Amino acid sequence: MNTFYATNLLIYAGVDIIALLALNLQFGVSGIVNFSFIVFQSAGAYAAAVLSMPPDSNPDYSFQVYFGGFQLPFPLPWVGGALVGGLLAIPIGFVALRKLRSDYQAIALLVTSIIANEVINNARPFLNGAAGLALVPKPLQDQLDTQADYYPYLLIGLTAACVALVWFISARIVNSPYGRSLRAMRENELAATALGKNPVAMKMTIFVVGGTIAGLSGAILVGYLGVWAPSTWQYPETIILFAALIVGGRGNNLGAILGALLVPVGLEEVTRLMIRMNLGPPNLIPALEWVVIGLCILGFLWFRPEGVRPERRRVFEGSPDVELVESVRAT
Amino acid sequence: MSIFAAAFGFGLVSMSVIALAAVGFTMQFGITNMINLAYGQVMIASAYVAYYLNRAGVTIWAGMIAGAVFGAVFSFLLNRLVYAPFQRKNTSLLGMVIVSLAISLMIANVLLPIVGYFSVSYQEHGGSLVRIGDIVLTNNQIVIIVLSVAIMLGIHALLRYTRLGKAMRATAANPTLARNCGIPTQRVIDMVWLITGALCGVAGVVAALNSDSFAIANGAGFLITALAAAVVGGAGQPYGAMIGAVVIGLVTELSAAAWSPEYKEVVAFALLVLVMVLRPQGLLAKRGALAAAG
Repeated sequence: MNTFYATNLLIYAGVDIIALLALNLQFGVSGIVNFSFIVFQSAGAYAAAVLSMPPDSNPDYSFQVYFGGFQLPFPLPWVGGALVGGLLAIPIGFVALRKLRSDYQAIALLVTSIIANEVINNARPFLNGAAGLALVPKPLQDQLDTQADYYPYLLIGLTAACVALVWFISARIVNSPYGRSLRAMRENELAATALGKNPVAMKMTIFVVGGTIAGLSGAILVGYLGVWAPSTWQYPETIILFAALIVGGRGNNLGAILGALLVPVGLEEVTRLMIRMNLGPPNLIPALEWVVIGLCILGFLWFRPEGVRPERRRVFEGSPDVELVESVRAT
Repeated sequence: MSIFAAAFGFGLVSMSVIALAAVGFTMQFGITNMINLAYGQVMIASAYVAYYLNRAGVTIWAGMIAGAVFGAVFSFLLNRLVYAPFQRKNTSLLGMVIVSLAISLMIANVLLPIVGYFSVSYQEHGGSLVRIGDIVLTNNQIVIIVLSVAIMLGIHALLRYTRLGKAMRATAANPTLARNCGIPTQRVIDMVWLITGALCGVAGVVAALNSDSFAIANGAGFLITALAAAVVGGAGQPYGAMIGAVVIGLVTELSAAAWSPEYKEVVAFALLVLVMVLRPQGLLAKRGALAAAG
C-alpha cells in the first residue's frame, strides 16, 4: 500500500464521515429526508473552488469560465464553503420544509437535486457548465511544496481535525436537550408541537447546520481532488449516503461513522478491486455496485431497520421498565 | 406570432405525453398511498422493450402495446414482491419513498449493462405533416394526441361508471372501511398496479417516440415531469394530474419558444416550487382524493 493510495482512502473516509454526521443530524436525528444533500456538499465545493482560484482571466485558467476567483488564502475557502452550504439551506428549506407533508418534502428535495444539477450543467458561464472546474488550488499551495513527502500527512491531519470538530459539534447537539426535542419531532411531530416545540423552526435550524457541515465536506474534497463537475454530484450520490446511514445505524454518531466506513469507503474499495480483476464487461461492475447499494437499503430496511449499531434508547431513571415500554409499543 | 402557434402545437403533444405519465403516477399514489419514484425508470424500461421489438422489425404501435404489457406486469410484480410486503410491515411513508428510490436506482443499473449509455431512437418515420393554421404536426404526433385523449376518457369512464372504478375510489378514500364493506381491496390494488403500469408503459414509449432519441439517463426527467404535473394538480387525483399536464405541457413548450429549450424541465420545476409555496395541496385538492368530477 503506497502513500498515495492511503492518502486517498483516508481523505475520502474523512469527507464521508463528515457528510454522514451531517446527514445523521438531518435524517437520523430529526427525520428530514434530505434527498438534496449532495447539492449542499457541492455548493461548498464550488464555493471553496471559486474562493481559492484566480479569476478566469488568468492565462493558466482561461480554458474555463466562472465567476469570482478571489484567490483567498487557505482556511478561508473551507470556511466559505461551509458558509455557502449553510446559506443555501435557507431558501431550499424555506420552500421544502415549511408547509409540506414529510413525504412531499423528500420529493421536493429530490427534484431540487436533479434540477440544480441540470441548471449548473447547462449554464456554462456560471461555473463552467458540464466541464466543471479544474486546477482548484490545494490548501496552502502557495506556502508549501505540495509534492513534498509531508504534504499528504498535512492534508490528512487537516481533514482529521475537521472530522473531530464536526463530531464534537454533532455529539453536543445529539446529546443536548435540543437533540431530545429533535428526536421527539422525528418520532411524533404532532405530539412535539403539542408540547410547545416549533417543528418548522427546528427543521430549518438543523437543515442549516447540516448544510453548513455538508458544505465543509465538499470544500475539503475539492481541495484534495482539484476538480469539481456536475457529473460528480448527481442525485444517486445522496442515496449512497442514505444507504450508509441505514446500514450503519440511524440517529447515533457512531452508527453514522460506521456506515461511512462500510458503504462509501468499503464498497468503493471492493469495487475498485473487482474492476482490477477485469470481471465481465466494463460497465458491469460499476452498475452492479449501485444494485448492491439498492439491495443494502432494501435488505437493512427489511431485516434490520435499526442498522448495524442501533440508536441507544434513552430512558430516564424512574421511568417505567424498558421492556414494559417495548411490549406496549409492540401491541 | 407563428413561433408561438407552433409552440402551442408542441404544447398539445407534450401535454398528451405528460398526462399519460402523470395520471398513472398519481393513481398509484392516490389509491395505494405509494409514491413510486421508480416510475420514470419503468417508463424507460418499457421504452426499451418497444425499441428492441421495433429494431426486430415490429411497428412502433405494436411495440407500444408490448411496452404497456411490460409496464403492467413489471409494476404489478414490483408491488407484489417489494412495495406491498414493506407496507404490510408498517414501513413509514418516508421509508417507502426511500425503498422506491432504491428500486429506481436498481432498475436503472440493471438496464445499463444491457442497453448501454448511448442514445437510441425508434425506426419510425414521423409520417406526413398536417397543418392547422400555423400549427404544424406530424401524423405520429396527431396519433399521440388522439391516443392520449382516448385513454383519458377511458380513465374517466373507468373511475366514474364501472364497479371497479367505484371500488378504487372507495379504496382510496378509506381502505379499511372499503374492506369492511366487502370490497376486495387486495384485488382492487392489484388492478390499480396493472392499469397504472400499462399507462406507465404507454407513456414511456410515447415519450420516447416524441423525443428524437432517448437514453437511460432520461428516466429522471420523465419522473420529474410526471411528478410536477401530479403535484401541481394535487397529488393522488387523476383529474388534477390531467390539469397539471395541460399547465406543465403548455408552459414548458411556450417557454422553450420564448427562451431556451434546454430549460424546459427547469421551468416545470419553477412551476412546481410556485405551487408548493402558494398552494401545497395542489390546484384541485378541495375535491378530496379521487372524487369524480362533476
